[in-house]
Amino acid sequence: MINDKNSQKIVDHIHNFARKHSLWVLAYGTGCGAIEIPPTMTSRYDAERLGVRGAATPRQADLLLITGYLTTKTLKRVIRVYEQMQDPKYVIGFGSCTINGGMYYDSYNTINALDRYLPVDVYINGCMPRPEAVIAGFTKLQELITAGKADGAAKYKEKLEWYRKNQKNVIPNWTMPEYNW
Amino acid sequence: MKENKVKLAKYLKEHFPAIIEKDYNYNRIDFSINRELVPSVLRLLKEESGYIHLSHISCVDWLEEEEFELVFIIWSPVDKIKILIHTRIDRNNPVMDNIDKIWRQANTYEREIKEMYGIEFTGLEAADEFLLEDWNGMPPMRRDFDTAAYASNKYYNRPGREDAMDVREEIARHSGEEIPDFAKKYSR
Repeated sequence: MINDKNSQKIVDHIHNFARKHSLWVLAYGTGCGAIEIPPTMTSRYDAERLGVRGAATPRQADLLLITGYLTTKTLKRVIRVYEQMQDPKYVIGFGSCTINGGMYYDSYNTINALDRYLPVDVYINGCMPRPEAVIAGFTKLQELITAGKADGAAKYKEKLEWYRKNQKNVIPNWTMPEYNW
Repeated sequence: MKENKVKLAKYLKEHFPAIIEKDYNYNRIDFSINRELVPSVLRLLKEESGYIHLSHISCVDWLEEEEFELVFIIWSPVDKIKILIHTRIDRNNPVMDNIDKIWRQANTYEREIKEMYGIEFTGLEAADEFLLEDWNGMPPMRRDFDTAAYASNKYYNRPGREDAMDVREEIARHSGEEIPDFAKKYSR
């Protein structure tokens, strides 16, 4: 029915338009950044006007916010959560710690660069980013989705071996199920 | 307060002649004793003097003196006095008596100290892992553990982290924006 390229383009455009206006954020906070989420979501900054709302479980969520430093112990859980999420899925790295380690750059138990372990679509700089910055990050992600450039999940599938190598490098006892991609 | 502290010091001196006292202002008093007598001192204070609350067990690494110092902080809600019991143990063979028969909550502190400093508590009943997962190597809170070297070895250090770099223009170029004139004077 929609085998030719042009009609697929139109379908993608409609898909992306719908996805952009309904981002469900997984209520999962790592590190200190999660404290910026309540003001972002509630009436003061009201992220819901952009279609951003909280979701209870990974399988219902589209967007994973990594809010701040990520310990190797939490990384294990985050990877598992990310792999349970269903397409379409996006990751926002939130705060300096996810970019280059931030103030925990020499800590023995926090990772320094998140995009070595999970595909990150948007980084929000700051320590901590204010709700304005968070909303700017959300709108940037929406722009990317409209342009069809928020393809972190596809990249993850493609380069799974590279990501796995990095993940197993910091998690020596790998006991997680190998999901069937 | 003062007379209570004097009374307490005298009382402990009677039972444990080896104990060394150090008085502080306000509601704090410190005692030092060798490690074999610590459980007896704690039990005596808990059961006879009303120091029923264990606030904390802390550990200090005296690397130069090749010793660990353990500090037991206990508190009496009646006397309103905080007692710190110090003891030194050998750094190369760190073994301490387990006190979780006196206070059950000591178990948690002991597990943490075991993991972070590698001190063995005799007969400690605990799972292998507490705060750290998959850790093999030197306990990370020891002073000779080089955390920066460990992190740069194990985790990826993104280039550009060097301090005092002016990344303003690079960011502006990257995002296709211009630095306004009034902001240019802040560029180095």
